[in-house]
Amino acid sequence: MEFDFAYLTAQWPALMRGLWLTVQVSALSIVLSILVGVLGAAVRVLQVPVLDKLVVGYVEFIRNTPLLAQLFFIFYGLPGLGLRLSLFWSGVLCLTLWAGAYQIENVRGGLETVGKGLREAAFSLGLSPWRFFRLVAAPMAIRVGLPSMLNTSISLLKNSSYLQAIGLAELTYVAIDRISMDFRTIEMFAAICVIYLLLVLTLSFLASRLEYRLNAPFRL
Amino acid sequence: MDLLIRNLPFILQGLAMTLGLALATLFFATIVSFLLGTLATLRFGWLRVAVKVYVELFRDIPLIVNIFFVFFVAPLFGLELSPFAAVTVGLSVWGSANGIEIVRGGFNSVPRHQWQSAAALGLKTWEIYLFIAGPQALRAILPPFVGLLTLLVQATSLGALVGVNEFFKVGQIIVERTTMMEGWNPAFTVYAAVLLTYFVICSTLSWFGRWLERRLRRDRAQARPKAISAAEPAAQLP
Repeated sequence: MEFDFAYLTAQWPALMRGLWLTVQVSALSIVLSILVGVLGAAVRVLQVPVLDKLVVGYVEFIRNTPLLAQLFFIFYGLPGLGLRLSLFWSGVLCLTLWAGAYQIENVRGGLETVGKGLREAAFSLGLSPWRFFRLVAAPMAIRVGLPSMLNTSISLLKNSSYLQAIGLAELTYVAIDRISMDFRTIEMFAAICVIYLLLVLTLSFLASRLEYRLNAPFRL
Repeated sequence: MDLLIRNLPFILQGLAMTLGLALATLFFATIVSFLLGTLATLRFGWLRVAVKVYVELFRDIPLIVNIFFVFFVAPLFGLELSPFAAVTVGLSVWGSANGIEIVRGGFNSVPRHQWQSAAALGLKTWEIYLFIAGPQALRAILPPFVGLLTLLVQATSLGALVGVNEFFKVGQIIVERTTMMEGWNPAFTVYAAVLLTYFVICSTLSWFGRWLERRLRRDRAQARPKAISAAEPAAQLP
């Protein structure tokens, strides 16, 4: 069996549709998961009485259960409670909850570098809490927390391939679907491996550029 | 509850399969990790690059694609793998890509003077690795390796996608069977139970990993009053 480029060109539109869905789901989930991360980390850092225990439990639970089982629970299990979500939104919810748990830890790691002394110093200079956050805490926390946040986002992109298990027609689903019809296995796998690699490497490259830019004031 | 009792033997089989899969994967992944991870710390530049390519390749391609790849492509080369073997290979490759980084990081965390003094005492390279650097590196390697095992246990659930009857697949089958035969859908309870079981297994492992880490650090702190805190490797994501 030789490599058939003509087949790939013929299937290209279908693959691109899959890729588009992958990108949509991932982008939406990345944004939402960072939101979850910031909120959760705020709860942890501010030590809101009951909520912070809940956040700890949530993070532990997500980290110690397989993503696939979480996905099936959301897509097949939740309708049992009367909560029926479409394929797309089940995927977004699942990936957001999964990545959100990691983002909470990432953001918290960043915020913890802002020490108590720094806060006292800022307040004694007369900064308001909001200005302290904007001018002192956020710039430091972002520099420390950003690399791991971007790593989690890249993992989320890769894990969007889990959604093929519930039948969302993203990139991996399209490829497997075509393979089971046409048996052009090598071509399809080569195509999606290259696409995923390109996506991940581009994102990693952008991430390292961003880190470089952010750390510019600290380089000699 | 009734569902659980009726299907108990089946469920236990699934758990055994999950355990078998996790152990087989851990076995192969450990061998490859230590082999390639150690090689990557040697002085040969090209070897380091080759290992780096291996690591990046298998970490950047989604694990699912990896497993499907082994499952679908191996037969084309005349290699008839059972689903179990295919998943073991796919997971081992992925696990070792993560393990290599742990092992490499472990050896790199051994202070330079240790290597230099060992070399100055006339020890051969393999003796340094085995008797001097190895035991020290192992302290840094073991806790993250337990973390990797947790991830492997979770990842075995992917076996369900290619037809290994492990724990998650068993849950899936029970849901389907009950829906077909008895006309009600137990998906919520079954998947909740599945999640809970994984949670118990994996959080026990995570807890053990954290305990090990504390324990090993305490030993080191006693040996050297001013212990240099090694950079914590970030938790690996599946």
